[in-house]
Amino acid sequence: MSVVSLKNISKMYGATAAVESVSLDVEKGELLCLLGPSGCGKTTTLRMVAGFVKPTSGTVEIEGKEVTDLAPYRRDTGMVFQSYALFPHMTVAQNIAFGLENLGKPPKLREQRVQEMLELIELAHLSRRYPAELSGGQQQRVALARALAMNPAVLLLDEPFSNLDAQLRVRLREDLRSLLKRIQITTLFVTHDQEEALMFADRIMVMRNGGVEQVGTPSEIYETPATRFVAEFIGWCSIFDGMVNGQGEFSVGDSIRLPVDAGPGPATVIVRPEHVKPVEIPGQAHAFEARVTSSNYHGSLCRLRLDVSGQEVLMEAHYPHGRAPKVNERIAISINSKGVRRLPG
Amino acid sequence: MNSDLIDTVLGVAGLAVRFTVYVMLISPAGIVVLASFTREDTLSFLPSGFSLRWYEAAFSSSPFMSALWTSSQLAIVATIVVLILGTAAAFAIARYRFKGSSLFQSLVLSPLIVPIVVLGLGLLQFLAWVGLSNSFVGLFVGHLVIMLPYVVRTMIGGLLVLNRALEEAAMNLRARPFRVFRRITLPLLAPSLITAGVFAFVTSFGNVTLSSFLAVTGTVTLPVQIFTYVEYSYEPIVAAVSSIVIAVTIVVILIIERVIGVDKLF
Ligand SMILES: Nc1ncnc2c1ncn2[C@@H]1O[C@H](COP(=O)(O)OP(=O)(O)OP(=O)(O)O)[C@@H](O)[C@H]1O
Ligand SMILES: [Mg+2]
Repeated sequence: MSVVSLKNISKMYGATAAVESVSLDVEKGELLCLLGPSGCGKTTTLRMVAGFVKPTSGTVEIEGKEVTDLAPYRRDTGMVFQSYALFPHMTVAQNIAFGLENLGKPPKLREQRVQEMLELIELAHLSRRYPAELSGGQQQRVALARALAMNPAVLLLDEPFSNLDAQLRVRLREDLRSLLKRIQITTLFVTHDQEEALMFADRIMVMRNGGVEQVGTPSEIYETPATRFVAEFIGWCSIFDGMVNGQGEFSVGDSIRLPVDAGPGPATVIVRPEHVKPVEIPGQAHAFEARVTSSNYHGSLCRLRLDVSGQEVLMEAHYPHGRAPKVNERIAISINSKGVRRLPG
Repeated sequence: MNSDLIDTVLGVAGLAVRFTVYVMLISPAGIVVLASFTREDTLSFLPSGFSLRWYEAAFSSSPFMSALWTSSQLAIVATIVVLILGTAAAFAIARYRFKGSSLFQSLVLSPLIVPIVVLGLGLLQFLAWVGLSNSFVGLFVGHLVIMLPYVVRTMIGGLLVLNRALEEAAMNLRARPFRVFRRITLPLLAPSLITAGVFAFVTSFGNVTLSSFLAVTGTVTLPVQIFTYVEYSYEPIVAAVSSIVIAVTIVVILIIERVIGVDKLF
């Protein structure tokens, strides 16, 4: 049985749909990520689960019970807000204890649970501090502990890393992921950062304009995007609009010829940049001559934009120090046919 | 060289302006307090000698003491009532979109713009019409009307600054609406409530114009009593009464500062 089940939910604001016919099942212990560009309806979806937004149509179920019309304080969810929303007039310990008080837990039990939570987030020494006296990362952990203290059926996180600097973000999301996995809590996580989603999630729901574009594991989303939008939004890739002939050969422009597993007709294929490689001699199978249009150094990797007879091809490759090709240089590349994916439809 | 001179001149001028402003702000109260300690029988700017006789006179003057009592009672009760009404109105205006919401807001805030003389005249006629003229209830209602806009303005400001996510977070932590209000909204609005309360109290406690219009036979507020007294007498007793009021005000402000100060530690 799924922990959260959204059945065809929509939310209209006037005539515009913030969320449109979204259906989703989140399994127990799963880390599911809502991913999409700004304004696509991620927060609205999350808030419908928490009960702050009432769907215009459709139903929300939590642990098999319909909660569509239940007030937020009657739902078994724990939310971490984008701004953390820690109560400024309460200490760290009081913040964590607040939910337990509302549940009517006796003081002994409360204290014990608060202590457990403080140890979980490794902030026991700061229990008497006020939120204003904590760093951003510490505030985030307190917000998490406050939500987890109630032992909710589902944890809801709205862009919990967006207020942190880039370096801290990478470290904290690794920590958070291992913590959530350790306590095996079902989690719905919102982000607009595809890298974060790929790294963090067990499954990703990609949203666009209020609708669902694709649901799948990170590798499914990355390797076999269902739509052009997903292909472009996740990672980096070359996209070719061309034709497939009777022999299963895809062609675009004057020179690109690639084998694909598809019947004849017009087709769109994508190639991820790691499947494009520089080669020594042009002329070998699936090798093409390319002109470098831009070259970006990323530490161990070099990201190149290439022009292959009018088609843009993206490549990621390792070059020995100082040997990366310069703009307008002509190089030879090959495309690994295993990396060629045809977009459905 | 030249710019140095300009800097110096500006600096001196700034100091002079600041000094003048402070003197102008403090001197009226200072003069009254100084004058209250006089030994003479008439009010004079520079008192001669030092005595507490006018304080004795003030404390034993039943018209002044009963007026002080009336004003305090009126201001305290009205402040409590207007804080409740005004906070409710501010919630309605700041949190809900309803039909006629902007009309409601203008109406509540209008006593700030309408001259009090006009308001007093209107209220007097209205109270006569509903049969409440020359009654304490009428005076009380009149005070509520002029206090309300200060409270509503201050509380709307406080509510707009209050992060809604805090209340949502509390609700997500299973707090029912009343509990959210008591544990989160109210404590976070406390500074605004205190500010609003001080505004409201001072508005009521110092008002002459409206209180004269809505005068009730037998119950006179302190400002009206002082005002009518100086019309026919120049006895320093008014200076002593005013000094008592100033002292009480300072004590109240100090207490409030303490309370807010302590609050900020949490
Ligand atoms: N209360 C509201 N009234 C009107 N429109 C709203 C309201 N809340 C959200 N919307 C609209 O609904 C759409 C989805 O909003 P939502 O906040 O869910 O986006 P999001 O995916 O979380 O975006 P972001 O990444 O920027 O946070 C947006 O176009 C937004 O303008
Ligand atoms: Mg959002």
